[in-house]
Amino acid sequence: MSSRRSRSRQSGSSRITDEQISDLVSKLQDLLPEARLRSNDRMPSSRVLQETCNYIRSLHREVDDLSERLSELLATSDMSSAQAAIIRSLLM
Amino acid sequence: MDGKRTTPPHPNPNPSSAALQAGAAAAAAESSKARMLAFHFLRALSRIHRVTPVRRRTRTIRRAAYSSMARAAGPRRAWSRALLGQARARRARRAVLVRRRVLTAAAPAPAAGGGGGRFIAAGGETSAAAAAAASRVLPPRQAGEPPRADALRRLVPGGDAMEYCSLLDETADYLRSLRAQVQLMQGLVDLFSCQ
Repeated sequence: MSSRRSRSRQSGSSRITDEQISDLVSKLQDLLPEARLRSNDRMPSSRVLQETCNYIRSLHREVDDLSERLSELLATSDMSSAQAAIIRSLLM
Repeated sequence: MDGKRTTPPHPNPNPSSAALQAGAAAAAAESSKARMLAFHFLRALSRIHRVTPVRRRTRTIRRAAYSSMARAAGPRRAWSRALLGQARARRARRAVLVRRRVLTAAAPAPAAGGGGGRFIAAGGETSAAAAAAASRVLPPRQAGEPPRADALRRLVPGGDAMEYCSLLDETADYLRSLRAQVQLMQGLVDLFSCQ
């Protein structure tokens, strides 16, 4: 099979094996939010990459949204009590 | 909340002390990472509160989020090095623009030209950056790399220069840090809004 041939060619030049790659892909799958809902069936790697891209994009959007809310709250909130609350929660 | 930070229940009735210690160490490492994240971000936030004009705050807070994420991760990760390099380049460009503005303010120039110059410079930088990214020599694609990897490379900072194997590894670490940063910011929003 062509995949076997390419694998043997790769193992000569680089030490990266298909098993290592599928291991990394499964680690990515475990990080996805739906990984806890599903039983840990192996998704095809293309699906894992797509879901990872969507997840990263949604996290970027959350960062944008939270930055906006933080800038509004910074303007309006009382800093001293907020600082006390933050220090309390960090030291807990 | 999910039990990411709590140690899972041990199946055997006599859990080994080594396993308990490992779990405790992992939890301590995670909470110390979270504390580092909070330290960097809060420091940036307090500076922004003091210094940054209100109209630039959202943008500055967003950049501070990525910078503090990268600083907490340290230089041993390619994505954090890429983010810190971007922040440094942005500061250098800002210094050039400020110098230019000071010089043009000395010689009388129309205000619209100065403001438009700033936007044009920003647009030129992004197009120049895009052109540089397009003409950059890409690492040789591995035989089994799926086409989706290109989209991932664009999303992960520094992804353009990585091989597929490192890209997957860096993506996992970037994802974990991103998630922690979002949790931190959400916690801060909750703290600030209900007092």
